[in-house]
Amino acid sequence: MMRFSLSDLIDLFSVNISMRARSLAGKYGFRDYMVERYYNIFNDWLVVEELLKAFDAPLPKSIRCNLLKVRSCDYLVSRLSDLGFELLGVDWCNYAFKVVKEGLVSLGATHEFLAGMYYLHRGVATLLPPIMLRPSSSDYVLDLASGAGGKTTHLAQLMGSDGVIVAVDVNRLKVRALRSNLERLGVSNVVAIRMDGRKVPEVFGEGFFTKVLLDAPCTAEGLIQVDKSRKVKTGVEDLARASILQYELLISALRSVQSSGYVLYSVCSIAPEEGEFVVNSVIEDCGCAEVVDVPRLINFYEGLVEFHRLKFSNELRKCVRVFPHIHGMEGFFICLLRKL
Amino acid sequence: MPSKKVVRCARCINECREMIASRLTECFQADVLELMAPYNELIICSNGFSEVYLVSDKLLDVYLKLASKGRYPYCIGIYAGRLSKGILIPSTMLADKVFKKLGTYVNSVEVSDTGLKPFLYGKDVLKASVTRTYPRLIKGRYAFVVGRDGYVYGLGISVVDEGELPYLRPNDVVIKNVFDAGWYLRGGTTPREKKYKLWE
Repeated sequence: MMRFSLSDLIDLFSVNISMRARSLAGKYGFRDYMVERYYNIFNDWLVVEELLKAFDAPLPKSIRCNLLKVRSCDYLVSRLSDLGFELLGVDWCNYAFKVVKEGLVSLGATHEFLAGMYYLHRGVATLLPPIMLRPSSSDYVLDLASGAGGKTTHLAQLMGSDGVIVAVDVNRLKVRALRSNLERLGVSNVVAIRMDGRKVPEVFGEGFFTKVLLDAPCTAEGLIQVDKSRKVKTGVEDLARASILQYELLISALRSVQSSGYVLYSVCSIAPEEGEFVVNSVIEDCGCAEVVDVPRLINFYEGLVEFHRLKFSNELRKCVRVFPHIHGMEGFFICLLRKL
Repeated sequence: MPSKKVVRCARCINECREMIASRLTECFQADVLELMAPYNELIICSNGFSEVYLVSDKLLDVYLKLASKGRYPYCIGIYAGRLSKGILIPSTMLADKVFKKLGTYVNSVEVSDTGLKPFLYGKDVLKASVTRTYPRLIKGRYAFVVGRDGYVYGLGISVVDEGELPYLRPNDVVIKNVFDAGWYLRGGTTPREKKYKLWE
C-alpha cells in the first residue's frame, strides 16, 4: 500500500497558480494548474511557452516495419511510396519511420497493414521503452499493461518471436485488439492474459520473469498533440488516482521480476507526479531496486530531483524524459530499474 | 454487447492431438506439428467455441503455471484455427508460417491486386481475379487466398474442383469468403464467430 492517501496526494500535488500561468493557460487553452506545474519543471516561462506551442503542433504518425513478416524495410518503404506516402527514417531505430506525407489510403487500411508488414504508432517515442529494455530470445518478459500490444509486438520483434512474453491487460477490448495485432503481425511467443496487473505475483509467484515492461496507464499528458482534449481533461484528483495505480503496478512489476532482473517503467506523460514521484516512492518504500542508466539513444532530458514541494533521490537523474518542444516527439518519462 | 463468456483451456494430447494433427495435415498436405517444431504442443481454448493453439515447451510451461491457479490465457502462441463440429478452420496466421516453412503454397489461389481489394471487403473471389492456383482446389474444402506479393490474405471455401476452373466465366465465384485480413479493420474487437461460415 502506498503510504499516501488520495487526499494526501491531492494536497501534495496542488499548486498555487500565478498570474503568468493563468494568462498562458488562457492563451493556449490549458488548465492553469498544468501550466504552473510546467513552470515548476523548467523554471523559465519562455520554455513553458515553447512547450505549450509544441503541444499545438500535430504529431507525425510513425510506423514500425515488422521484421517478423518483412525481409527488408526498403521493400515496405517502396510499397508505401507507391501509394503516395512519404516516410522519413528514424535515426536511432532503423526499422521505424515518421510519416511526413499521407498517401492515397489511410495508413490503417492498406493491404500492407492488413498483411502485418507494419504497426502504426501514434509517435516515435513509444518505440523507446522496448528498445531500452533490451530483451533477448532467452528472456521471460512480462508486459504488465500491454494495451493493444504496440510494445508487446515490438518486444516480440526484438526477441525474434522467440523466448516468452506474458502480456497482461485488464481491459477486455484492449486484449481483443492485442490478439488481433498478434495474429496480424505473426507473433508466436506471447501468452495474452486478461487480468489486473497487480495480481500477477499471486499467479506467477515472486521473481518468475527476467524482465518487465511497465508502460503504465496514465493521464497521457504527453499525448496532447494527439488528443487536444487532454489540455483540460485531467484534474489534480485524476493525477493522484493515476499515481496510486502506477505505484501499485510498479510494486507488482518488482515482485514479478527475478533478483538482478530489470523493470522498465514508462508513462506517456510529462507529469512528474506519474514519473519521478512514483519511482521515488516505490524505491523508498520497498528498498528493493536501484535506478540504472539507460542507453542514450537520443539526447534525453534527465529525470527531475526536485519538483514543486517534492524532493527525489539523486539517482532519479538517471531516468529520462522526452519533451515535444525539445525532441519533436510525444512526451514520455522512462526509467530503468534493477531489482536488488 | 461484447460476449462475457469465460475462456477455459486444456492441453490437447493423445486422441485429441491425433485428431488435430490429422485435420492440419488435410489442410496443408504436410505434417504440420513436425514442421512447426518447437511450436508443436497443442492447447484448445473454449469460449463458446473451440480454438486451437500451437505452443512451444516454454509457452506450455507458462500455460501450466497459469492453469494451476485456475486461470487461462486469452490467446497463446500460434493461433492454428477454430474447431467447429469436428472441422478445423485453419488460421491465416498458421498458413503464413506453414507456407514459409514449406517454401510453397498448397490448397491456395493467387489473386490479382484488383481482385484482392473486394476480397478484403468480405467479397468472394471471382474467376477473373485468379492468377494462379496451387494444388489442389477441391469443391467444398478450404482454400487460402494469397496476394501477388506472396502474403496470405484470407481463407475461403472452394466452390469448384480445380479441373473446372478453365470452364468458368470471368464473373463466376471460385472461392467463397470465410475470413479475410480486412476483418482486422472491420471487426477487430467484435466476436469473430459471426464472421465464419462453414461449408454445408
